[in-house]
Amino acid sequence: MAASTSATDEQTSSTTDHDFKEHLDVSLLKDIARNSLVQALNSVNGAKTLVLDPSLAGPLSLVAEISLLQQHGVDKMFWLEAGPLTAVTTNVVYLCRPQIRMVKVIADQIKRHARESKTHTYTLLLVPRTSTLISRVLEEEGVLGDITISTYNLQFIPIADDVISLEHENAFKEIWVDGNEASVYDSAQALHTLQKLYGRFPRIVGKGDAAGRLATLLTRQTTQSSAGSDNAQALSEKFDSLIVIDRRTDMITPLLTQLTYEGLIDEVIGIRNSHVEVPASLLAAPSNPSAPPSDPSTSTPPASSLLKEKKKKQHLSSSSDPIFGELRDLNFASVGKRLNKVARRLDEDYKARHKAQSVAQLRDFVGKLGSLQTEHQSLRLHTGLSEIIVPYTRSSVFNKSLEIQQNLLSSYDVPGQISAIEDLLAQGADMQLVIRLLCLASITAGGIRAKTLENIKREFLQTYGYDLLPLLLSLAAPPLAILLPNPLPPSTAPEVAAFKYPYPTLRKSLRLVIDGTETLDELENDISYVYSGYAPISIRLVQCVAQKGGVLSNPASGKTRSASDDAAGRGKSQASVKVQAHPIVGWKGFEDVVGSISGKTVDIAQNGLGSADTVSASATSHPPQQGQATTTVVFFLGGCTYTEIAALRWAGRQNQGRKFLVATTGVVSGASIIESIAGVGRGAAASKGP
Amino acid sequence: MEDSNVFYRRQQLYTISGKLPNLGDCIVAGCRYSGPIALMRDNTKLIALGRATPVFAKAQIQVFSPAGEGLLLFSVDTVASYVFSCDERLVVVNEEGVYRIYDLQGDYEQHSLGSDATETGIIDLLEVKGWQGAKPLALANPGLSAPPHSWAVIPPDFNISRHVEVLLSVDSSILSVDNLETVDQRLSRGPFTHLSPSPNGKSLALLTFSGTLWVVSTDFQRNLAEFDTRGVVGTEGEVKQVEWCGSDAILVTWDSLALLVGPFGDTLQYFYAGSTFAITEIDGVRIIGPDVSDFVQKVPAASVSVFRPGSTSPSAILFDAWENFTKRSPKADENIRSIRPDLAKAVDEIIDAAGQEWDPTWQRKLLNAAKFGKGFLDLHDPTDFVHMGQTLKVLNAVRFYEIGIPITYTQYVLRALDPPLSYPLTAGTRTSPRHTSSDASPRATCISSRCASHPTSASRRRGAAALGVREDPQGEGGEGRRGGVREHRREVRAARRPGVSYAEIARRAWEVGRAGLATMLLDHEPRASDQVPLLLSMKEDQLALQKAVDSGDTDLVYHVLLHLYNRLPLGTFFRLIEEGGAALAPASKLLQVYAREQNREMLRDFYYSDDRRVESAVLALEEASRMQDPTAKITSVKAAHKFFSEDKDRAFEAKMMDEHSRLLAFQQQLEKETDDKISFFGQSVNETITTCLLNGMSKRADKLKSDFKVPDKRFWYIKLHALTKTRDFEGLDAFARSKRSPIGYEAFVRHLVEKGHPKEASSYVAKCDAHKRVDLYIECGEWRMAGKECKERGG
Repeated sequence: MAASTSATDEQTSSTTDHDFKEHLDVSLLKDIARNSLVQALNSVNGAKTLVLDPSLAGPLSLVAEISLLQQHGVDKMFWLEAGPLTAVTTNVVYLCRPQIRMVKVIADQIKRHARESKTHTYTLLLVPRTSTLISRVLEEEGVLGDITISTYNLQFIPIADDVISLEHENAFKEIWVDGNEASVYDSAQALHTLQKLYGRFPRIVGKGDAAGRLATLLTRQTTQSSAGSDNAQALSEKFDSLIVIDRRTDMITPLLTQLTYEGLIDEVIGIRNSHVEVPASLLAAPSNPSAPPSDPSTSTPPASSLLKEKKKKQHLSSSSDPIFGELRDLNFASVGKRLNKVARRLDEDYKARHKAQSVAQLRDFVGKLGSLQTEHQSLRLHTGLSEIIVPYTRSSVFNKSLEIQQNLLSSYDVPGQISAIEDLLAQGADMQLVIRLLCLASITAGGIRAKTLENIKREFLQTYGYDLLPLLLSLAAPPLAILLPNPLPPSTAPEVAAFKYPYPTLRKSLRLVIDGTETLDELENDISYVYSGYAPISIRLVQCVAQKGGVLSNPASGKTRSASDDAAGRGKSQASVKVQAHPIVGWKGFEDVVGSISGKTVDIAQNGLGSADTVSASATSHPPQQGQATTTVVFFLGGCTYTEIAALRWAGRQNQGRKFLVATTGVVSGASIIESIAGVGRGAAASKGP
Repeated sequence: MEDSNVFYRRQQLYTISGKLPNLGDCIVAGCRYSGPIALMRDNTKLIALGRATPVFAKAQIQVFSPAGEGLLLFSVDTVASYVFSCDERLVVVNEEGVYRIYDLQGDYEQHSLGSDATETGIIDLLEVKGWQGAKPLALANPGLSAPPHSWAVIPPDFNISRHVEVLLSVDSSILSVDNLETVDQRLSRGPFTHLSPSPNGKSLALLTFSGTLWVVSTDFQRNLAEFDTRGVVGTEGEVKQVEWCGSDAILVTWDSLALLVGPFGDTLQYFYAGSTFAITEIDGVRIIGPDVSDFVQKVPAASVSVFRPGSTSPSAILFDAWENFTKRSPKADENIRSIRPDLAKAVDEIIDAAGQEWDPTWQRKLLNAAKFGKGFLDLHDPTDFVHMGQTLKVLNAVRFYEIGIPITYTQYVLRALDPPLSYPLTAGTRTSPRHTSSDASPRATCISSRCASHPTSASRRRGAAALGVREDPQGEGGEGRRGGVREHRREVRAARRPGVSYAEIARRAWEVGRAGLATMLLDHEPRASDQVPLLLSMKEDQLALQKAVDSGDTDLVYHVLLHLYNRLPLGTFFRLIEEGGAALAPASKLLQVYAREQNREMLRDFYYSDDRRVESAVLALEEASRMQDPTAKITSVKAAHKFFSEDKDRAFEAKMMDEHSRLLAFQQQLEKETDDKISFFGQSVNETITTCLLNGMSKRADKLKSDFKVPDKRFWYIKLHALTKTRDFEGLDAFARSKRSPIGYEAFVRHLVEKGHPKEASSYVAKCDAHKRVDLYIECGEWRMAGKECKERGG
């Protein structure tokens, strides 16, 4: 077993290198975002005071650093928050999303300045585009004449080399709770930009009502822009398709507790815009690098004290931190083992200095020292993070909730699980955890017995406050409808019944739950590895389009072993082991399964002349040629979890000739979704500048 | 004129004898890109009556095409100054700082420069590219005491800072002013009477009082040329204009003389019969004299290469070959052979040269030569050739004197790159009011059909189409039906050409009162952002909202919603949205999002009028959760309760709200009992019980438990947590013994361990299930007890 694990380990790392070359270069998007920021700033002449919407700080920090802003005349920066603004420069530049709340603050500040008879020149940069609504609000507040409205078109930001995100946190709530589909429109715009850069998607496949609207917007936009200019855009050679997954089609996955390393960090500590707040001591450079402690993990202080320490933000990225790249997609159960291995390797590398006899050898060692130190540093960080997470994973609430999740997923003893949820509620567990489990029970079992549900709701409100009643109502209301009584009361709208999720059939047809007989190591080949035995529906849907074999059976089962057998000659065997990706033929073969899920099913082929037709199932796209990889863009409308990204990476590795590029409105977790609906949030304002 | 290799040519565009008044008596404004000129009588000058010129009333502006055709005449009040913007709109400013932007139909929009301008007054106005009716930009105050001698604006595209800069000639120097600061360029040669930036913005022509023409780079770093205008023979009076001819030569005009100064001080003189007016173009300069309208330009390289006497360039030889060929001379073959390797280049050059010709005969000749040369090439991409042919057709059509747009190929290409291309639209409409439809129509159709095959001229077609509809009122009345049929045909015709904007046609149709047709046309418009505003102005509210919703553009929906909210009575507005049903649901949702933040009163009315009890209740509840004042909060919660109870399906929610208000009342009472020392208000039931327990009010806690029917399990957990927190272990012990624990005793052990009280925890282990005891003892750190337990069980 150990042999096979290590073989897959190495395979993973070697493919990572391999991936790097084949991936679409998304850093271009970052450059675009950067340049348009610079342009927006330069449109205001001279020194300026920048007033920043706190929710933009995170995304902005992924695009530009403070020094860049300073180079372009930003003198001082303030958060956009209620209260007076004291600016020294004549120019005041506001940068914010078109939110009424924010604009009112701006109006207040301007009016205050007017009263104090200070003269400033105001510019409002709206992200990502201007809005009639905002000018109207400004007009109602009586300051429209004093402010120049312009835009900063911030679209996709690369957050990893295969993940791009709009970093729009509230997209889910806006679409499915408020009914504000601005983010659908913005997503279409951003995808259109992507098409402008790399060519048009030959095929757009999607599932879900909102996904359907997005696809319509996108094709309409393409036809319009190509009609306007003479260079009708050619089909992309790099992309083979766009798969749009609407978050509503798979509500189960985000409700589950994420179990990969990165996912758990998000669940326990919370990752915002790829930044995690960690105790400052974890980031400090080792005090005496020349004499490192033999075991780096012992040098970190105990976890309990870490939690109280002052927090500092750390950017988690695989490009600057190779260890993180190795760890992020691992199931947390194997993270310890991996860390241990890295620690040992590092230790040996350090010990190499004792072997250094000649001056030349010593020089070699010193040359390596820099990289060793960074690695050491990042090892320290990850050990520390793991130590924060481990106690959490050992807590009884955590384990109980995992047990409930697994049982619900295999539809085992549902009433028993519900009373277990009641117990958690009585113990006063986290509000979001209880609600997540309840919704999960409701979706998988097709509703909770009316009497029981009412009782739990009452308990819930008494425990967490009556103010949460709107949350319960939103979860039960039509576009979402994930917390329902069973049977439905006769008065409910017919569409609610249509939203019912066919979980039991999906579990079989999409092979969602893998029997517990296999150990984790064996599961490692299937995407269900990331949830220790459950394959995310969203990713299975992607596989229905891009990796049909993977849905039916584990594509790599048995093959990994053969790979480990001739591990020596892997270079050659690699290619033969992997299955060649098949061409994109839409939902073919899975029409019934996909049709059983509520929501529109989309399958559009875009041709080169700028028009789009719905294709019959017989139409096929070009098969990816041998040795030449195409990229499939998977867009999650409403956000995706880190674990889903991990699962998609696993899926991508099993195939040859196709890479996945994850695009999303933002990275979410069950907690962030529930909290955004409840309107509590983990504190919307970030505490440190970009 | 020859100077090394540079040639200049004067092309007579139109003869305009007697069509224009004496330019010397007028204030003139010209438009770039071969646009029209506008004239207004200069009140400071005397006019000799009697000459056969059109009579000028006092304050009128007349607009003429470059061919001398009058286009427009309108009266204005006190005009301070006026200029043309790039897109052929006339900007007229009066002394109060109010400016109007006229298009060539005489329609105008009015803007104001703001109160500051009214106070300071207007002296002059210069053209700024990309004028959008924006608010004035306050530039740094240079602190002038007297008006500058002359000034110029450098548009933002051309300077380093990317912002508008203004150059002012003050005393002997020049100040460059932007919105931050004023920089004195410290020149000593001034003052300057004329200041003129070149079309590419790189150089600046200055004319000193002493008559020296001086050319410098716009950053004043380099001295480019110098020329003394006083030495020119035949000058008379003062210099009238200093204009650039393209970007490398300068035209200086006096009354009846125009002097072209080349980059090396070499000159060309042109004489005119009277006053002239010069307009800089991107590739030359137009001179409008009393009798003729001329265009002076540097001969383009392609033309030089073909036509220069003695030229041996491949293109010249190719042209020669073609001439020989038409003369059936065998020399043709010889010529072709000699330039074989360069033939492709020669063909391209000849095509290019054809574009530069004004006369169709020469255009045809050159294109024929190109066609001839093409025949000898195996592989030649004909796109350029076809393209040029099509373009020339269009150019020749618009150059026709009735339309009078003497646009050159270079300008045409540049304009096509410029996004705001409404030029042909105005060109088309220019002719329409003046001619009967029978006259204008064929010509317009001719242009449109020629343009139609041309890929870059989508907006040209729009112009023609707009014209097409406009002529239709004539068909109305008796022939209404036939008119309709014609329009329909026209519409079908338009439909065949992608790129025609239906919205534009529809707007015209609506303007002439054909609302039905306009709606019909709009239905074909794919761009909702073009469709919606017109629908709104047509008061097709429902349709506008529907289209906006269909577009998926939330901003557009807001645009319509806010517009309608302002215009319609509230009841009608609500009804419109409610009656839309599912189709307008997104709009209704958006309205709610907006109103929740900005206009709650309206939202309340909206919910109320639509009988949305649940939403009303949620709104009330949301407001309650934000309130601080206890009584107001209770009132809000009660309101929510009332709303819920009106809906029979919401019995549960109503009950909850009832509980909520009872809890709030109870909390108020509790606060009173504790003399406001402990804050209870707004807590949940659990928190309230906890607070009671923490403060030793266990009686009260019990009462809450029974009042709110808190189940035993939860109550035990709450009490366990609270007692552990206060370290009341005796109380906990008593509580544990009070009756059999509904949550078992394992929870006690685990919680106590978690909170760091393993010793106290161990005492509860004995009460737990036998098989778990060992593990629990270990967790408490009681190894001895664990061992004992093992022994017992083992034994």
